[in-house]
Amino acid sequence: MNYQPVMGLEIHCELLTNSKVFCTCKNEFGGGANTRVCPRCSGMPGTLPLLNKGAVRLAAKAGFATNCTVNNYSAFDRKNYFYPDLPKAYQITQFESPICTDGYIDVTGGKRIRINRIHIEEDAGKLVHDDYEGISMADYNRCGVPLIEIVTEPDFRTIEEVQDFVIQIGQRLNYAGVCDAKMEQGSLRVDVNISLMPYGSDEFGTRAEIKNLNSVKSIGRAIAYEIQRQSEILDKGGKVLQETRRYNENHDDTKAMRSKEEAHDYRYFPEPDIPPVLFTDEEIDIIRREMPELPNQRFERYTKQYKIPEEDAKLILAEKAFSDFYDEAVNITPEYKLISNLMLGEISHQINETGTGITEVKFSPADVAKVAELAAKGTISKGSAKDIIAILFAEGGEPEAIAKKNGFIMSNDTSGLDAIIDEVLTANADAVEKYKAGNAKLFGFIMGQAIKACGKGANPGLIKQTLSEKLK
Amino acid sequence: MNLKELRNKLDNKEIGAVELAQDYLNRIKARDAAINSYITVCEEEAISQAKAAQAVIDAGESKPLTGIPLSIKDNICTNGVRTTCASRMLEDFIPPYDATAVAKLKSDGFVMLGKTNMDEFAMGGSSQTSYFGGPKNPYNTNCVTGGSSGGAAASVAAGLCAAALGSDTGGSVRQPSAFCGVTGLKPTYGAVSRWGLIAFASSLDQIGVIGNSAFDTGYVLNTIHGYDENDATSSGLSQGNYTELVGSDISKLKIGLTKEFLDGSSEEVRAAVLSAADFYKSLGCEIIECSLPSLEYAVSAYYLISSAEAAANLSRFDGIKYGYRSGLGEDYNDLIKNSRREGFGDEVKRRIMLGNYALCSGYYDAYYNNARRIRTQIRKEYAAIFEKCDVILTPTAPTTAYKIGEQENDPVKMYLADICTVTVNIAGLPAISTTCGYGSDSMPIGMSLTGKPFDEKTIIAVCDRFEREFIRRECAEL
Repeated sequence: MNYQPVMGLEIHCELLTNSKVFCTCKNEFGGGANTRVCPRCSGMPGTLPLLNKGAVRLAAKAGFATNCTVNNYSAFDRKNYFYPDLPKAYQITQFESPICTDGYIDVTGGKRIRINRIHIEEDAGKLVHDDYEGISMADYNRCGVPLIEIVTEPDFRTIEEVQDFVIQIGQRLNYAGVCDAKMEQGSLRVDVNISLMPYGSDEFGTRAEIKNLNSVKSIGRAIAYEIQRQSEILDKGGKVLQETRRYNENHDDTKAMRSKEEAHDYRYFPEPDIPPVLFTDEEIDIIRREMPELPNQRFERYTKQYKIPEEDAKLILAEKAFSDFYDEAVNITPEYKLISNLMLGEISHQINETGTGITEVKFSPADVAKVAELAAKGTISKGSAKDIIAILFAEGGEPEAIAKKNGFIMSNDTSGLDAIIDEVLTANADAVEKYKAGNAKLFGFIMGQAIKACGKGANPGLIKQTLSEKLK
Repeated sequence: MNLKELRNKLDNKEIGAVELAQDYLNRIKARDAAINSYITVCEEEAISQAKAAQAVIDAGESKPLTGIPLSIKDNICTNGVRTTCASRMLEDFIPPYDATAVAKLKSDGFVMLGKTNMDEFAMGGSSQTSYFGGPKNPYNTNCVTGGSSGGAAASVAAGLCAAALGSDTGGSVRQPSAFCGVTGLKPTYGAVSRWGLIAFASSLDQIGVIGNSAFDTGYVLNTIHGYDENDATSSGLSQGNYTELVGSDISKLKIGLTKEFLDGSSEEVRAAVLSAADFYKSLGCEIIECSLPSLEYAVSAYYLISSAEAAANLSRFDGIKYGYRSGLGEDYNDLIKNSRREGFGDEVKRRIMLGNYALCSGYYDAYYNNARRIRTQIRKEYAAIFEKCDVILTPTAPTTAYKIGEQENDPVKMYLADICTVTVNIAGLPAISTTCGYGSDSMPIGMSLTGKPFDEKTIIAVCDRFEREFIRRECAEL
């Protein structure tokens, strides 16, 4: 039997602050074990948390990036549980009064996914197990790394909706400077709550929570597996258990971690060491005004104003630095489509070939704008534009000089053109005859031969014009 | 001789800082065996600090506490000096940092004589829950010192320091001060940074001062108070010279007398407090009868809030990172359980269980949330009283110091004895306790003056006025 999947997400995002959320240790990825710890984040007696206001501002920006209300009042709570990677044995989080509430994002197909809340919390450390020695070691570097948790309503019905949402969240937070959203490094972590119900029903089934999803692809596969697993249980008349399951990429399956019966009572209560976070409307407005243009807003600009096809716009937006590069180039030369084609064509091709990032290339957006300008004015052909990009990629340089040096500047001189084209027509008399007999496809072939004969500096427009007249 | 006079003697070279420190160290050696007020005595550090202080004095650059020997309660972190909280759990814990209050004393050039005894993790009113054995009352060594800052109060009473830092969560500075016949000041919540004070109940804890006089407590507070960015709950409102009103005319003040507090106290305590009220009246002060109707719920609310916070605050002691670690067990769960089972004493475990119970889902509303409501109500009732009065006069404890071993086995009875002090912490107010009489057992009786938020100056002045007239008895020969 087919069932309707119902899904909701909990997304943890590491905030791009310089220091941790409750101390001044550096907030960085990697490094030797316990090299970024201090008495505060290792929970030494007598220490107190020192709230990083930068983290609060970034959390507020996450709210603006997802259409949330940023609250005038929010407060911290303690979530109590024992685990060796949690030095205080409680996590400072926001339970009763989160900083952001009631947001949404529209996903594929125009569906609106509601966001229940975004709250600030601290990350825990990591346990490293040495099976050979039979010991476990605690690394507290990650303790106190600032996180936000984005909690959605159970509004998802398809894998595509979930994946699009996750991609959008990552992009928006990245554009807003909130989170670098590198799923493979764990700076954006997604938990999926999923249940099934018969189509047409409005009563949700029992949900399982899948953890440990570190790519958009894994999310899709884990959900597909879980739909299958739960369907089989329900088909047999069984009951889905409310439990937490871990997705295993290698086996492509999910395994139970703990059931509801084993679930903790976290005994939340207000954190007495941190006064509530109070924002005036003016302060909230100041943060709102700092918001950069978000990818969804750029998408509107690219597709509506620049008339770029939606798929192309999405490709440009996928990476902020890429989109920034594009914006800078079109700001100089408003050849939206031409620059889009150059960037998604030769530039993307070279980036993929060489593994060079857009921020590492030897040329600037102004160079690309110049190439586009030359092509638009008919100074060079579009084919030459591509060649210039390849040269810029390999060795850099000034586009116009490259064009001159390589003979890319198109001649608008028709003298001599007649003679060359006549030669081409003679040399390809057979094709000419067939064309005249009605095989229109052969025009392309003849055109190709003519361009080859005329050399790179020739203006394809002029060649086409001359050729058309002669073949009439 | 108050601390200002001692300051002058040091500055006039009538006495040397090293000589003074050595005097105190000798007295500790001679007398502390009888009262057990110190857990750790810092002989070497004290002498070297005294030498440094003398150099500062000789250079004419002394600050108020340069060269003045003080004791520090053993739940206040001292860099390089073990800080045990009187617990097996932290028996060998040496903090790599100073509490802000200690850092401020150090920047004044004080001399730290040592770390004083207390109830384990400051939980108790007798100091008898100390893992190192409880301190004894200098007025009668068969009696308790009160607690939890019992060692601090005893060290002052027995002349084993010039003044002491304690901490007060529900009366832990005031009640032992009352029992040991000295003066104890609990400042407004937020007046002194809690950074480095090992937390018992974060929303109630406050570092306070125990001294020989109200003046001395204010004199030390002048150095240790102030906003500290390391403690987000500390306040910039605590400013100014806390002793500046000492000696000023207090005859225009209105003093509230709360009947509920008097009703719960022994006959002789009640009589002593009422006679203090008569004294103020004789000066011209207006005595206003007032009421704190929610007092009957205060002890329950206090134990729910403080135990809930304590349960979380003490969770970090898990044997993983520092402190006591049990050798028993298979996995980390066993390690945590056994370390805590063996590392904590019974009273601490009782509070942790009580606190966790109150926070459990299903009980949270009935216990913790109701306690919060009572807290709000008590604050309102105090605010109403302070519309009519400048200070409130109450007993500090319902009785005088009891015999060691007399009450410790009845926790509820012990808890109820906190009735006179806990409301001040619940409302975050400043209060000071001083001796106002002696009981039939010859033990000191304490009275407390509670002030408006950040109005320590007034209660210090009012307390000082009484102390000028009252003759304290010497404590027992030790």
